[in-house]
Amino acid sequence: MIEIRDVHKSFDNLEVLKGIDLTVNNGEVVCLIGASGSGKSTLLLCINALEPIDSGRVIVDGTDVHAKDTDQDKLRRKLGIVFQQFNAFPHLTARQNVALAPRKVLKMSRADADILAEEYLVKVGLEDKFDTYPAQLSGGQQQRLAIARALAMKPDYLLLDEITSALDPELVGEVLDTLRMLAGEGLTMIAVTHEIPFAREVADRVAFFHEGKIHEVGLARELINNPQQPRTKEFLGKIL
Amino acid sequence: MDYSFTSNDFWLMVRGAGITFVLTIVSGFLGTLLGFIVGWARTAPSRIVYHLLGAYIDVIRSVPLLIQFVLFNSFMAIAGHPMDPFTSGLITLSIYISGYVSEVVKAGIESVPGVVRKAARGLGMTYLQDFFYIVIPIGMRSVFPAWTGLMLGLMKDTSLIAVLGATPPELLRASQIIINRIQEPLAILLGAGLFYFIMCYSITVMTSRYENSWQQKREVIR
Repeated sequence: MIEIRDVHKSFDNLEVLKGIDLTVNNGEVVCLIGASGSGKSTLLLCINALEPIDSGRVIVDGTDVHAKDTDQDKLRRKLGIVFQQFNAFPHLTARQNVALAPRKVLKMSRADADILAEEYLVKVGLEDKFDTYPAQLSGGQQQRLAIARALAMKPDYLLLDEITSALDPELVGEVLDTLRMLAGEGLTMIAVTHEIPFAREVADRVAFFHEGKIHEVGLARELINNPQQPRTKEFLGKIL
Repeated sequence: MDYSFTSNDFWLMVRGAGITFVLTIVSGFLGTLLGFIVGWARTAPSRIVYHLLGAYIDVIRSVPLLIQFVLFNSFMAIAGHPMDPFTSGLITLSIYISGYVSEVVKAGIESVPGVVRKAARGLGMTYLQDFFYIVIPIGMRSVFPAWTGLMLGLMKDTSLIAVLGATPPELLRASQIIINRIQEPLAILLGAGLFYFIMCYSITVMTSRYENSWQQKREVIR
């Protein structure tokens, strides 16, 4: 379970998170929607401590993420993250990209890590790309590679930061299909997304962000089909 | 006294070329090591370290190497630790090139996109794992040509050690000794230039072979 309690966060003088409260239960898919700059992506980085917070608490399975004595490197193993910008390791093949962290972090043998890597590459549909370098992959393939790389650490949670936003429209579908499959397997996911139809279909709940606050949170279908708050109505009206 | 070019002269030049090569390898290695540490330290969050080491680099890069040779050698003598010119020259060369290497190292580290480093840390890698398995391999590929250029420059700069009268003589000083005797500057300098060219060119060939192995895998093309 991920519990976010009154989290505040500023960059210099700009307060981007103004007291966020959100609980994500195991097995749940929660989509964060809202305009760019509303703080959604920053919140993801605060959940796995890639960004520090100013106040409040983020608790993952009972561990306070930002507490001084928390081993954040160890904690991040169970919080996989995939970003909007392509971030494959350019000097490694697809297989090596996926196998690196299991080898170095989990101390798996090279052979075992390679088998594991191939297993996850097959899972995301990259079975013919084991020895391909990222530069030769399409955007959609790079994002699926990033998903496989995160999954190979067998995380309990997957954080997805607008992972289809940098893709050409015809490549979005293949990545969303992968996410559908993972949701079907019961993986807990928090996804920042602009794909509202996808959120409606796959998410259990949706949280609407506006200017650093969650204005509305509710069951996906209900919130998207029948928003209660004026800000939510306005946003969905523009985007749908 | 013999006024013609003898086989002894030839071997003096060959030995000089060997000394030049050793000077380049040793000071290149020490300077790269020191420059790596300085460049890495400057990417740390501390502003104080950044500016202190920045001053170090500015001084090294702004004072002519010739003056640095003389100053360092004299300073060590005044400080009560006189050094033989060869050793003091070697140390000066190492420090000198470290100033340039550190800027290249810093550029290499900063060339790695932040999101790639975040992805590495997001997988549970520690700072050091991210640094050694991600940042160094990627950064090295982008600044390797610049580093090679520094090493070629260093090889030619070793000739300035002659100002200290270091023995055994490196290539240029060996050539001057011969020129003084046989008074054939053009021919000897042409020969010395050929030696420098052969050494530099073999470094270039070796390093570009290394770079090509990356290119062939299409790793560096984005």
